[in-house]
Amino acid sequence: MRVRVVVAAALAVAFAVVATTAGAANGRVQANKLTVWLQVDAQSGWPDVVAAANQAFQQQNPGWTVNVQYQSWGDHLQKFDATIAGNDTPDVIEMGNTEMTAYMASGAFADLTSSKSQFPNAGSWLAGLAKSGMYGGKLYGVPYYAGSRVVTYRSDLFKKAGITKAPTSIAQFTADLQKVARLEKNVKGFTPMYLAGTDWYSALDWVFDYGGSIATTHAHKWVGTLDSPASVAGLTAFKNFFDTVSSRSAATLDEANPAPYTVYSQGLTAAILGPAWFSCCTGTKYKSVTAQFVMPSHVAGKPIPGFLGGSDLAVPAQSGSKSQAVQWIADFTSTANEQSLQTKGNIPNATNLLGNTVNARAAARSWFVPQAKHWVDVENGNILRTMLAQILTGKLSVSQAASTASANIAYTLNQS
Amino acid sequence: MNARRAHRAGWNVVGIALFAVTVFPVFWMISTAFKTNDQINALTPTWFPLHPTLQHFRDALNKPFFWTDVKNSLVVVLVTVGIAMVLAFLAAVALSKYRFTGRKLFIILVIGVQMLPGAGLIIPLYVVLARFHEVNTLTGVILVYLTGALPFSVWTLRGFILGIPKELEEAAMVDGSTRFGAFARILLPLVAPGLVATSVFAFITSWNEYIFARVLLNDGSKQTVTVWLSYFLGTSRQTDWGALMAASTLTAVPVVVFFLLIQRRIAFGLTAGAVRG
Amino acid sequence: MATAAGTTTKWSRHRRLSLSRLGRGAVPYALVAPVVGVMGAILGYPIYSLVRISLQRYGLFELIRHHGVYIGLHNFGTVLHDSVFWHTLLRTLVFAAANVALTLVIGTLIALLLVRLSTWVRLLVTGGLVLVWSTPPVVAVQVWNWMTNVQNGVVNYILTELHVGNYFQHNWYTTSFSQLAMVTTLIVWGALPFVAITVYAALSQVPQELVEAAEIDGARSWRVFLDVTLPVITPVILILTSLSILWDFGVFTQPYLLIGQAHVTTGNYLMGIYLFEEGYVRADFGRGAAISILMLVIVAALSVVYVRRMIKIGEVT
Repeated sequence: MRVRVVVAAALAVAFAVVATTAGAANGRVQANKLTVWLQVDAQSGWPDVVAAANQAFQQQNPGWTVNVQYQSWGDHLQKFDATIAGNDTPDVIEMGNTEMTAYMASGAFADLTSSKSQFPNAGSWLAGLAKSGMYGGKLYGVPYYAGSRVVTYRSDLFKKAGITKAPTSIAQFTADLQKVARLEKNVKGFTPMYLAGTDWYSALDWVFDYGGSIATTHAHKWVGTLDSPASVAGLTAFKNFFDTVSSRSAATLDEANPAPYTVYSQGLTAAILGPAWFSCCTGTKYKSVTAQFVMPSHVAGKPIPGFLGGSDLAVPAQSGSKSQAVQWIADFTSTANEQSLQTKGNIPNATNLLGNTVNARAAARSWFVPQAKHWVDVENGNILRTMLAQILTGKLSVSQAASTASANIAYTLNQS
Repeated sequence: MNARRAHRAGWNVVGIALFAVTVFPVFWMISTAFKTNDQINALTPTWFPLHPTLQHFRDALNKPFFWTDVKNSLVVVLVTVGIAMVLAFLAAVALSKYRFTGRKLFIILVIGVQMLPGAGLIIPLYVVLARFHEVNTLTGVILVYLTGALPFSVWTLRGFILGIPKELEEAAMVDGSTRFGAFARILLPLVAPGLVATSVFAFITSWNEYIFARVLLNDGSKQTVTVWLSYFLGTSRQTDWGALMAASTLTAVPVVVFFLLIQRRIAFGLTAGAVRG
Repeated sequence: MATAAGTTTKWSRHRRLSLSRLGRGAVPYALVAPVVGVMGAILGYPIYSLVRISLQRYGLFELIRHHGVYIGLHNFGTVLHDSVFWHTLLRTLVFAAANVALTLVIGTLIALLLVRLSTWVRLLVTGGLVLVWSTPPVVAVQVWNWMTNVQNGVVNYILTELHVGNYFQHNWYTTSFSQLAMVTTLIVWGALPFVAITVYAALSQVPQELVEAAEIDGARSWRVFLDVTLPVITPVILILTSLSILWDFGVFTQPYLLIGQAHVTTGNYLMGIYLFEEGYVRADFGRGAAISILMLVIVAALSVVYVRRMIKIGEVT
């Protein structure tokens, strides 16, 4: 009796496991299936572009299905690592342009150099973006789209302060913001321009504007250059700008929390610096009075160099359908699709497609992170954010903070 | 008598204050879900949205795969809880009613598994499941969740079985039932509250799990609802607080419904202890 | 015939006896087998591979080639020589101790309060606890973020309106201490329901006659609690304490998401985050495996008392 009960129970369990396994097994891996990992931005922002690419691909490859799986920026690399370990990678993966180098250097991606001619507009790809997909002279990443940073501002307040033209230099912009500040001095918590102190994507604009840089190679070794005179001049200029026009309480904040456009929509600032799509969320009250211009340089008449963020598309080396993967990427980055991406506030991947949007004009001068295998570690170690917080809170002098950060960066980049 | 009543009234006030404080975050989540974006961003908070908007709920439900993913979560959680209860019950009986060589080893195994840092096992687990083609399937997730639910359930159930008076069981044996027959007929009903309490815990832990589900499931149509929820945060663009709060509210609803369904049994389980005392 | 039948019966009875003895001996193993089988099948290889990788140089390069290079105990050596590891360990121990203590003390107080409430208030409070319990940590983190945001967090608003001080645009996350304190509030809040409800269930086993007798004897309520109530709920509290230690020592989701990737630095690492950053984010899987194993050893050491007690309790005699 007792044995029978135990056996029956064990059988029931075994059956349950088998049943669920079998149930799940039904819908699995058919042959001709292309798995694509895109960031969730595509799902919420431009699902039509994805659909168009899939349709084009399926017309050329009858019998193939495309399985687009959406990922989040926060954890897609960890997920990708797991699939590499399990021999189960997608066939196409979207990578942030600062994430590429580590994977290219380790041999995670297929060499696409010989297929370059298949990609539309490959001859006129945005130089900065294309460079992020190259390693050792070979092509591993196809430019997908980019984004630049512009100033989103309250035209009503600027007009009220008697400003009618967009500023052409940082000095003029500072003066304009001070006029606006006087106008709104009775609004509690108002800062003329809201800048998140540790937003290094914006702060390093000043470093590059003054001719500085983050790191360079010398005799096959990385050398940190944030403590160079030019970089320190840029950081000092940034600190002065921040102290004059922004709020001290934002010195340790990052650009995601609170979102700059939230501060804007609360009427607590007249200008924010960030991606062009910030205009999405300025609140119903200020929608009609919101406009954008290109952030000026300290040299009159020039734009400030902006961080060229963006995405590349790569084919993992373990993919079993590489030629189809290349075809899908070509379909996805077609001229029509890139133009459609432009209408959604992005910069298309090729210069011949650039319109005269504020976004595109801001991209005229841009900077990018050092292409080092361990650059991601610098980002994730928050070395730059720590430096900025130290500078803006006055905990360390500009040169002290910069030389500490510079040493940390060199150490991190030179790891084996 | 009066003093006593006053006392109780005093405690009741404390209780209500406690209720207000603990529930406030949940209240704030739900109330935010019903506010317009301008109310959400305003500097002066709106406590109760007098003209609630359903827009955020509509946005959340329009995000693909909500219902599929709720169904997936239910399947994963119910199968996990079901299997875990049966297996854990058997092992708990062995632990509480038998003496056998290797018993200590088994106890150490059960406790040891709970000490494993889950994060360290993500990649090795993925490799195993990939080898048996159980990645991107609910079965794979169920198997992983079982390793979490089993040790805990074995423990708790063992405690409940130990709590049952020996006389009851012996009385059944005198009736001529075999030992296991006695278990089945006498033990099971008595352990029922324990099973309910344990399954509640296993249910909530599995329902709330996020990291393994995130790594193991890729297809939108095969994900669990916590993974679905994470898509409100994963973009590089704006976080839609209203939709996020609405989605969070929706995610919590099935758990609350589950509680409502079994709340009588929980109450029974709790009072059963009192009767015993 | 009769003899034959007799022998058969005798023989078969004999056989049945030994079989049943054998059967009885096998029953506990049969009962335990499914659990051991499932756990072994799923965790066996991962644990083996964790140990193996901890002895190898295993980065992204090796991951892609599925082949590590044995380097002995090098990974353990570098971790143990890393001052960040020791600082993180110390910080995590303090953090876990604070969280466990707060959770258990407040949880037990709530349970004691529940006993003293009118039925409807008790139902109300229990309902509230259930609501809290059913909030996934991922959601709770967002709600916390939302309630404490610098711009218009409702917490700042309430504190300012109550004249506790000027909390307009107060940033709750400026120092490592304040960041971890916020994480503590989140974790304690989320863990209270489980503790309070379990302790409440244990309290219902306390014999009321004894409590009343003690009260009639004029004992102070504090003494009644110590002499009558506490001994009964001690086993439950012990289990809850050790479970809380296990959870709080390795906690990852809440601190990582609440502090935020942009603010996670070596100055506010907890062990769970240290493991994630060193092992996964930097893609040094060998080192990550070594850290996992060290964490396991530390937790085991912390729980030694508990494990010994657990093995003893309910020893079948």
